[in-house]
Amino acid sequence: MATTTATVSISSSDLMPGSPLNISASSTLMKTGITTGMELMEMGNHSIATGTEFALSLAKGDVNGAHWLYIANTSTDSTYYIEWGYHDTMIGPLYSGDWMFVPWNNAVADDSEIEVEAKIGTNTFEYAIFKGGSWTLATAGA
Amino acid sequence: MATLTPTLSLVCTDATSDELNFSVTDTLNIAQKVIAPSKVKLSTGDLTLFASSAYSRSYVYLKNMDDTIAMDVDFGSTASFNIAAGEFAFFPWHASQNIVVTADSGTPYLEYAIFEA
Repeated sequence: MATTTATVSISSSDLMPGSPLNISASSTLMKTGITTGMELMEMGNHSIATGTEFALSLAKGDVNGAHWLYIANTSTDSTYYIEWGYHDTMIGPLYSGDWMFVPWNNAVADDSEIEVEAKIGTNTFEYAIFKGGSWTLATAGA
Repeated sequence: MATLTPTLSLVCTDATSDELNFSVTDTLNIAQKVIAPSKVKLSTGDLTLFASSAYSRSYVYLKNMDDTIAMDVDFGSTASFNIAAGEFAFFPWHASQNIVVTADSGTPYLEYAIFEA
């Protein structure tokens, strides 16, 4: 088994006067359950034009698999952004330089596909998927 | 307006021959509501952690504080992920759906924070 450690820190010196914000959390990424480390990963980057989608789909039957997804919008134009979501349910925007890191589990059908859609501009983004056991990338593309 | 600096690092030395070791950081402008790190006890019933009507575009931090119990994070009624014991998430949310949290069992604690852009 491999040991993959994810650490997030969130800080601000001016969010709350007199009380600097310093959040830190670290986690070893595990397969389903909490004792076996993840072994598989996939990393890549893509460019998508305004209005087009890029989909990452888990194969059906991989119910409740424990995976992790990192996405960062590497576009340099600050007006450009992409949105991420599950199937047709878009969750939030990633402007240039923004990143996200979430667990990815396909407990129900809609959760098995994560979409990235360019809303303004031709955006470039990078992604990494850390995979639990029997993982199959069913779709990667627009 | 305040500045928020989130940083993510991912390190793995033994999955591939090319060691993974990277870090990404961002600078976010926060102009509206903030809930600094807080803690709530969950149950197996739904808890609306963030109501869409109360927020605009925001950044959300969640961490499962429990050692064994996982919890579901739902966006409205159609999409969700599951945070295992000790794990965390950080993501942007445009507040189109409520964020609803539920314990898989028992009464684990969830740490959360939200920063409205």
